[in-house]
Amino acid sequence: MRHDFLDRYSRLDSPIHRLPPAVKLVSALALVLAVVLLPPSRPVLLAAVAVVLLVVAGLSRIPWPALLWRVILLEPFVLGVAILALFQPGGWRLFLILVARSTLCLLTMVLLSNTTPFADLLRVLKAWRMPALLVTTLSLMYRYLFVLVDEAQRMQRARASRTFTPRRRRAWRAMATVVSQLFIRSSERAERIYAAMCARGWR
Amino acid sequence: MHIPDGFLDTKTAVAAGALAVAGMGLALRQARAHLPPRRVPLLGLAAAFVFAAQMINFPVAGGTSGHLIGAVLAAVLLGPSAAVIVISAVLIVQCLMFADGGISALGANIFNMAVLGGVGGWAIYHLVSRAVKGLFGRVLAAAFAAWCSTVIASVACAGELASSHTVRFSVVLPAMAGIHMLIGVGEALITALVLVAIARARPELLQPDEATEPRRSYGAVVAYGGLIALGLALFVSPLASRWPDGLERAAEALGFKAKAAAPILPAPIPEYEVPGIHWSALGTAIAGAVGTIVAFVMAWLLARVLVPNTRREDTASPPGGR
Amino acid sequence: MSAAIEVRDLRFRYGEGTEALRGVSFSIAEGECVGLIGPNGAGKSTLLLHLNGLLPESLKGEGSVFVDGSPVTADTLHEVRRKVGLLFQDANDQLFCPTVFEDVAFGPQQLGLSEAEIRERVTQALARAGIPGFEARAPHHLSVGEKRRVCLAGVLACDPSILVLDEPSSSLDPRGRRELKELLRQIPITKLIATHDLELVVELCSRVIVLDEGSVVAQGPTVEVLSDEELMLRHNLEKPHALRHLHPH
Repeated sequence: MRHDFLDRYSRLDSPIHRLPPAVKLVSALALVLAVVLLPPSRPVLLAAVAVVLLVVAGLSRIPWPALLWRVILLEPFVLGVAILALFQPGGWRLFLILVARSTLCLLTMVLLSNTTPFADLLRVLKAWRMPALLVTTLSLMYRYLFVLVDEAQRMQRARASRTFTPRRRRAWRAMATVVSQLFIRSSERAERIYAAMCARGWR
Repeated sequence: MHIPDGFLDTKTAVAAGALAVAGMGLALRQARAHLPPRRVPLLGLAAAFVFAAQMINFPVAGGTSGHLIGAVLAAVLLGPSAAVIVISAVLIVQCLMFADGGISALGANIFNMAVLGGVGGWAIYHLVSRAVKGLFGRVLAAAFAAWCSTVIASVACAGELASSHTVRFSVVLPAMAGIHMLIGVGEALITALVLVAIARARPELLQPDEATEPRRSYGAVVAYGGLIALGLALFVSPLASRWPDGLERAAEALGFKAKAAAPILPAPIPEYEVPGIHWSALGTAIAGAVGTIVAFVMAWLLARVLVPNTRREDTASPPGGR
Repeated sequence: MSAAIEVRDLRFRYGEGTEALRGVSFSIAEGECVGLIGPNGAGKSTLLLHLNGLLPESLKGEGSVFVDGSPVTADTLHEVRRKVGLLFQDANDQLFCPTVFEDVAFGPQQLGLSEAEIRERVTQALARAGIPGFEARAPHHLSVGEKRRVCLAGVLACDPSILVLDEPSSSLDPRGRRELKELLRQIPITKLIATHDLELVVELCSRVIVLDEGSVVAQGPTVEVLSDEELMLRHNLEKPHALRHLHPH
């Protein structure tokens, strides 16, 4: 379970952080596309991209262990699918190329998300004419993500402090209660937010 | 089921992306037309809810745990179009903020989980809950739909990976579908438990149609159906290996294939066969059918356990003639 | 000169439930700072919602609410909401944008102001709320007190003439409470403060309205009403400590 989704590093100060968010988003996209479209017969190009990413990472002043950890967390998903590629002639080569490319893209996106506050990315998407309803949804989701995860954790803790036997069936029922309460509270909170939006003149 | 970057080739990513954009566009149009303003914040909150709910560990065995995906839960509680928007938002945030799911694969992920999983799952829910009345019917429908949507999404995912020539269909389909048939059980169980809990605490929240989608137009139904059918045809058609791969043909026609990443393996790929295992379209179809029937029976039993006979005619039953 | 707020015989019922407000009447003059107190469930929050026309059913209901002399109706809603700045009890519900700047700018944006004006308003509002320079901060990193201030700034940015606050000092630590008190003292506009914090009422409000079970059971000068121990206890309140040691001058 990933706990650390706070924008801990996205508000540091570094040459990379100071770049305009649109530039970072476009660059990240370009890098990912470049990696994905590169002919696999020239691994040298992949190495070049890797060097670029490492330079960016260095400039960004994000602590290396944190960066590494984030990439490692996501590797299992890459490996899980890539393993299936082994079951065919030439599988090993394919496997390695898949893992290399995917990991580079992972690093790119990890760098992007850790040098750019999500609110900034959202503003860019809005400028790029993303539909208003989707922008509002993303905006509210981001704002209340931490609030809800917090609530969920508090409920889990409260439940745990009143659980004396590790009965799995009861545990599932209790967790379902937590999830259902989370929805109910979210639903009620949405009503209050609507009122708050109207109170400040929302049209 | 989030596909990372680098596993899909250009034609597949673009095709899936187009389907995703079409699906989201349709959902946004429906929402703009039918969603009352007071429900707009609910979309954002529901997206945060799905995300938070996905982080809750449901212990399975020996340290492993299950997690909710939530597409069908969202669809039951909010309606299909709202569910598409909500799940898409979750996937976008997961991609941009956590690098969970590749950005070049975002289209595919959105199509699989939000459109196929959300709308497809909702359709199954709608049909079953119409046939079987009461809270019992709804729980049965939701559990079954949750299982189906998980499996269907994984099949589409497998199809996309195979269509990209990244992995062989004969390997990826049984692997993904097989695993997700198991994951689907957890999804069905959690979805059912949560729905029952909500029904007990606030039954009025289980009437989404009036609130979020008061007038469902047939145009929208047809459009969604068309999108889903197209997607399945494009990505799962290799299953019937006698049919030409429609997407390949289109890609060739549009000049994509030549410009895309040079195939890693020499084309054409020899017939889908894993040494030692004789795989056939018929065998897969039978396995799928058996799995589905078993899932339905299990969903029935689950609903029976959660909604005992005395509560069959519950207050949470849908108003007559939905 | 018409009163800033006037409420005449306001009645309200939630759906088929019990009456939340049973004929409430009072008026608040311009520049006054009035406290609204009463036990839980008295109807304070419901009453406050009426001051922004946030209960759709209320607009057809009985009794009326007047702001600056004009009634609160479906047509006047937007003007009323601009004039009457409502601060909700839970700052988390009211602070709904991803950054402080965007949240404080929300009101001015809805008013259709230009980019430059919006920026100006935000800067001023944040300064008035005592948190200059908070523009780029993210809400989930703020403390309760800071969130409250952001909400206050967000309301002030709309340039209201009346401020209505629902439990502004709840969850604040003593220092936060003191700072809030100072802040409110420095904002000279008409204020209505619904609160359980009786000490705050003594310190800030010249007049007090006591609400219980949907009716006004007492209103008058703060010291007079709050010193009436019997009245206080009868309505699940108590005589605040600040008044226990008052010596007649």
